[in-house]
Amino acid sequence: MVISPVHYIAVPLLAAFVIPLFAKLNREFVRIIPGIVLLYLSYVSIVLMNQVSSTGTISEVLAGWAPPFGINLVFSAFSGFLASLMTFMGLVIWIYSYRFKKIDDEPALKFYVLFLMLITGAIGIVLTGDIFNLFVFLEIVGISAYSLTSFYRNRDGAEAGFKYLLLGAFASTLILLGIILLYSSIGTLNMADIAQKSHLIPTSLKVSIFILFVVGFGIEAEMFPLNGWAPDAYSQAPGPVGAAFSGIAVKAGMYVIIRLIYTLFDIEGSFQFLIVMGLITTIIAEVSAMKQTNLKRMLAYSSIGQMGIVMVAFGIGTREAIIAGLFLMLNHAIIKGLLFLSSSYLVYNDDNKLISSLSGLGKRLPLVSFLFALGAFAIVGLPPFSGFWSRLYLLLAAADKELIYLIAIILIIAVIEIVYYFRVINKLYFKDIKVKSDDVQKPSINAVISMSILGILIIAIGIYPDLVTSYLGNAADALLDKAGYIENVLVDINN
Amino acid sequence: MDFGQYQNIVTISVYGSAIALILIGLYAVLIKKNLIKIVIGLSLADAGIHLLFVAIGYLKGGTAPIFSPSVVGENVTMVDPVPQALVLTAIVIGFAVTAVALSLVIRLYKHHNTARIDQIKSLKW
Repeated sequence: MVISPVHYIAVPLLAAFVIPLFAKLNREFVRIIPGIVLLYLSYVSIVLMNQVSSTGTISEVLAGWAPPFGINLVFSAFSGFLASLMTFMGLVIWIYSYRFKKIDDEPALKFYVLFLMLITGAIGIVLTGDIFNLFVFLEIVGISAYSLTSFYRNRDGAEAGFKYLLLGAFASTLILLGIILLYSSIGTLNMADIAQKSHLIPTSLKVSIFILFVVGFGIEAEMFPLNGWAPDAYSQAPGPVGAAFSGIAVKAGMYVIIRLIYTLFDIEGSFQFLIVMGLITTIIAEVSAMKQTNLKRMLAYSSIGQMGIVMVAFGIGTREAIIAGLFLMLNHAIIKGLLFLSSSYLVYNDDNKLISSLSGLGKRLPLVSFLFALGAFAIVGLPPFSGFWSRLYLLLAAADKELIYLIAIILIIAVIEIVYYFRVINKLYFKDIKVKSDDVQKPSINAVISMSILGILIIAIGIYPDLVTSYLGNAADALLDKAGYIENVLVDINN
Repeated sequence: MDFGQYQNIVTISVYGSAIALILIGLYAVLIKKNLIKIVIGLSLADAGIHLLFVAIGYLKGGTAPIFSPSVVGENVTMVDPVPQALVLTAIVIGFAVTAVALSLVIRLYKHHNTARIDQIKSLKW
């Protein structure tokens, strides 16, 4: 069988819908099939990434209709990097959630179906070359994310899910309106074709379309002021789902905003817009994170702040800054993933997930606490962890463009992060034990394995950043090469 | 009244009702306190968008975009089929979102015993 980018979408989508059938044969299939699917997708990632680095971008035409009429998938070094990252995070989260007790209390079947749908949608967003197809995948992500947010049948889960749904449905209305305006002005939905013809759209109309899209996708990318759903959703959703949101769903939203600015529309000032929005997002989120008493909410605000910094990096717009931005996205996925996964064992039996209840847990749960501390050190950017290098690259990129104020703000943000993360670590290690030992949930062996994979990766990238920088360089080149993107997709009609 | 004038009135009323539906829907989502009314507002805004999309794909005097033996080779205007296909997809998506929204409303009602959004605030914004 020939490996192609279609497998990324077809295999998990098919699996999501046959799991309920296999569940009739044996309940264990429910847990095993997602793992097999994600392992296969990891294999597809490795094969395709090697193919891309040797032969260049793969543009896959679906159903025999060549672009710009049919739907195509584009697996470039840039989109492929994000798709591989999402697959990897999906695999790690699957290892973690295998027999995760709180999920098994509810029907595990629902969790795995929705989880596979979330991954399908997010990878679809990254790979598709058609703007309406993008909208459909966004809705797949949206519907599975609303349901996963309200996965526990308690009171607050439904409220968080409904808030997320309101914002998401509102966003999809705006995106659809943007697609209508776009289609009525240039009559195409293919992204490469739009990029080629976007100079034909009158500037005022182009700016309106751009704003409709940015507001719509900004909700998924946690852009301020559209991120009201995030703290509630992260604090109410099951632990693995929080990691999936920050590692998979949010990355997809961010990808679309980057694609809009770099490839689709050529609007003056959009890079500055991204820097300003990123700075506002990160400052407000980090200040809010300081005063949170709920651990999950604190991590959610920290996640929003990180995405703000990613926006700043892509707003600078040089090759070095894009590498820094991609590095930040990679780090955000693995480090925030580790923090969400380990924190759900730290506050396992506390419904309010209070930071004060962590007192002295460092002695009760030594391994989980150690991994949480590792993640905290990495995310604030201490050497020798991977977070250090992404911050350093970002500061160097900002210094190259002589954006001194940006450097100042990024460093102040780092100090704020150190304050609130170290407050948690202080509670973990230097306070007296309050909880009784039978109130603590010991992590299962597979949870330990998945968290250790992320921890080892953080240290490995921290010591040898060259492990990833060559991939990031290729991805940055692919993103900047707009003419190459258009040529790859529209090769048949231009010749 | 001749045919052209009649068509203009139809065009204006279709675009007008599409925009009116979108605005009514947004009004309901933003102002109304009842969860059911908010969900209705979402559906109305969706319906308005769908109507607008189909209207944009319409050509004056166009026929259905189907190649049948009677029209092949003849110079006939056909309406643009792409918006219609997209709207069909969008209707299905809107249906799914509405279903999830209503199920969440039911669950909220069971826990809070009210469907007013200003009385449901156990989570801070």
